[in-house]
Amino acid sequence: MKWINIQPEEFWLRFVFCVFLMFLPMLLIGQVFGSDVTHGPGDVKTGYESSGYETRSISVLQRKGKTADLLQVLESPPLGLPPVPVPKDNPITREKVKLGRKLFFDRRLSLNETMSCAMCHIPEQGFTNNELATAVGIEGRTVRRNAPTIYNVAFFSNIFHDGRDTRLEFQIWQPMLAFNEMANPSIGYVVEKIRGLLDYKGLFESAFAGRGPGVETIGMAIASYERAIVSGNSPFDRWYFGKQEPAITESAKRGFNFFTGKAGCAVCHVIQKDHALFTDDRFHNTGLGWKFSTGGDQAQIPVQVAPGVKILVPKKVIDSVGTPPPSDLGRYEVTQDPVDRWRYKTPTLRNVALTAPYMHNGVFGTLKEVVSFYNKGGIPNPQLDPVIRPLGLTDSEMADIVAFLESLTGDNVETLVRDAFAAPIGDRH
Amino acid sequence: MNTIKQTRYVAAAILIAGFFILASHSALANETGLPHDMAKITGQEDFIHIWTLGAEGIGDEQDKLVTVAVNPNSKQYGKVVHSVSVGGRNEAHHMGFTFDRKYLWAATLDTSKIFIFDIHTNPAQPKLIRTITDFVAKSGGVVGPHTVMPVKDRMLITGLSNNRDHGGRSALVEYTDEGKYVATYWLPTDDNLQGAEKTGKYADGYNYDVRALSRLDAMFTSSFTGWSNYMMDFGKMLKDEEAMKRFGNTLVVWRLSERKPLKIFDIPGAPLEIRIAINPENDYGFVTTALTSKIWLVYHDPRGEWQAKEVGNIGDPSKVPLPVAFTISSDDKLLWVDTFMDGTVRAYDISDPFHPVQVYEKQIGSQVNMVSTSWDGKRLYFTSSLLSKWDKKGKDNEQFIKGFEWDGKELKERFSIDFFKEKLGRPHEMKFSAYSLYKL
Repeated sequence: MKWINIQPEEFWLRFVFCVFLMFLPMLLIGQVFGSDVTHGPGDVKTGYESSGYETRSISVLQRKGKTADLLQVLESPPLGLPPVPVPKDNPITREKVKLGRKLFFDRRLSLNETMSCAMCHIPEQGFTNNELATAVGIEGRTVRRNAPTIYNVAFFSNIFHDGRDTRLEFQIWQPMLAFNEMANPSIGYVVEKIRGLLDYKGLFESAFAGRGPGVETIGMAIASYERAIVSGNSPFDRWYFGKQEPAITESAKRGFNFFTGKAGCAVCHVIQKDHALFTDDRFHNTGLGWKFSTGGDQAQIPVQVAPGVKILVPKKVIDSVGTPPPSDLGRYEVTQDPVDRWRYKTPTLRNVALTAPYMHNGVFGTLKEVVSFYNKGGIPNPQLDPVIRPLGLTDSEMADIVAFLESLTGDNVETLVRDAFAAPIGDRH
Repeated sequence: MNTIKQTRYVAAAILIAGFFILASHSALANETGLPHDMAKITGQEDFIHIWTLGAEGIGDEQDKLVTVAVNPNSKQYGKVVHSVSVGGRNEAHHMGFTFDRKYLWAATLDTSKIFIFDIHTNPAQPKLIRTITDFVAKSGGVVGPHTVMPVKDRMLITGLSNNRDHGGRSALVEYTDEGKYVATYWLPTDDNLQGAEKTGKYADGYNYDVRALSRLDAMFTSSFTGWSNYMMDFGKMLKDEEAMKRFGNTLVVWRLSERKPLKIFDIPGAPLEIRIAINPENDYGFVTTALTSKIWLVYHDPRGEWQAKEVGNIGDPSKVPLPVAFTISSDDKLLWVDTFMDGTVRAYDISDPFHPVQVYEKQIGSQVNMVSTSWDGKRLYFTSSLLSKWDKKGKDNEQFIKGFEWDGKELKERFSIDFFKEKLGRPHEMKFSAYSLYKL
């Protein structure tokens, strides 16, 4: 009865308070866990550098799957993305996608049955690995570069950081056969292994009109799944292409202006008139590769030994337990043209907030570090890309660019990740 | 007179009973960290079985169980007498006997296979009788079986990682001693503490060693890191800022009978090995941290509550000496701990467990990892390999087992076997066997 007698101002105050109380438990849960199981490692380490760090760990059992119809995004491209290019010789079907997904998560497809594609391209970690700067392959062998994300890989014809492959159908065989990734001794070995696995019985034949496992069909199946990991309709897309003004923050809007203006990021991370892939799909020298190959290391390296505890360890001590890292000359390794030394592909920035650590060698843990690196003009070297120069951005302007980058996360990430969780993980049974 | 006689009889009976109680305690007490109620070798061990990692370019490159004769009365003293290759490099690591000590389960951190050897039929020639190859699938995705601890007719196995992200969240897995999967117990995480008390800031869900104190119905697990780190090149990992955040900082106390976590303690810097005091009056154990170089005491306080307290440093923590394996003597007086980076063993007087005092140190080699002691404390054995990708590189990559005698003041080397020269690989954990144990 009291509600009837209250003034409108008081009513709204009470209403807002009640709504606040309703959502308080959710807010508290958000504070406790910081992230959900689909957006980042369940083993949350944010703030580990500080002595005030507290765990917000999530059980691996929370990775509960829900199968999605991934072809819907191909049939109706999300805002901000062009139609997904599908090769004529491998038309995409739901059966191929489902089969490809099964293969993608099958650890048996490595020589000692420990590595699948998904061990480096972890769904909730942006389909990359947030926990490593550069990947670790079979038997712990060193992989030189950061695992690139699978998100929106369908749109690119230069695959890998050095662009050494051109089609997803071909690409999958490189990690399958690489000595330091999955180490299968031959294509025939993989084909025969799959033929012998009872849980694959009939699946290839059904997806490929009677054709069984083979060098082509295995590649086509995995490529079909990867091609379906498409993510758009981000807050940025809804603001820029959808003209929904409140979709992103004012800081992100300012960041967009710097991104396309003063900072010049969009020269390489291209935004088209009706879509944006945020890459020119070309190769650039930022100086990071050059420094790695030619520059000296620090005499002492800070090593985090516990939350809030770092110790300076002499480089010679670290070298005593480390194998010298393999050289990495970037695009040059493909073209053999000295001009291409230490050039690496411009990555897409879609879902970039989910794909740390950054750069071809995972050297930066945060977007703030990346923007700061470019603000300083990269690392000067004889072949530094001419578009990379000191930018003169203030801290506030850099924060705006980071806010803009954080607005590029697609709206279907949870759907894609939950669908991935639904895939059976192939282990020997 | 009769009363006096009766009193004497009663006193004698008490003394005899007391003797047998003490004797049975000795017979059933600790050797080098085995469960308190498992049969022990209280005299001279005849053999050491060494779970050895295959090394690329060395011999047949496979993991193998290597047997060395260590009874000074043997003509083959200090020699390799047997070797069983198991196929592949699986990251051989730790082993555990079944409760009857007849079978040895040898676990692997990479492929997660568990190789079961018959030891009792002929300890000089262990025989591979079975391989568990579906540990990951059966356990629901646990990767990297590590410690194998028998609890009556069950085997409790710590996993170090998982098949979702190769990170550090993992579980305990229970098998029957016949090799049948029973259950999986995931370590508590913040979203599901499983009723455990988070006493500090951390509940990381990581796992490493497991030890039990059955008379108090207690079990303890420590925490290391996941597959991506323990399989990675050590130098590469130390320079990877993200990877270095992925180490455990917790010790969990469980109710053994229910496999239920009770308390989670903050022990920063990768607490690894756990050793429980042997004397039944000593309700405590120790754990050492690899990255922060500390000794921690876990003890039952006067109120019957478990507590954890940092009680000492190992070497100079600022130099990251990397404490690895340790053991405590059967009288709970000495703690021997290896530090990998300087290849040194240190002995601490732990008569007062709250105040360990270093009393001795000796460099064993350019690197050292495992240490095992005989029950009488007179013999110590050391092996060199930590993990295949963490061992030192170049000339400092010595791979050995070395046997020493301890006279109370000094360690004196009695034999040494170069595992690379013998084309065997990287020696890791050691287990003892003796003919006397099997009445052969």
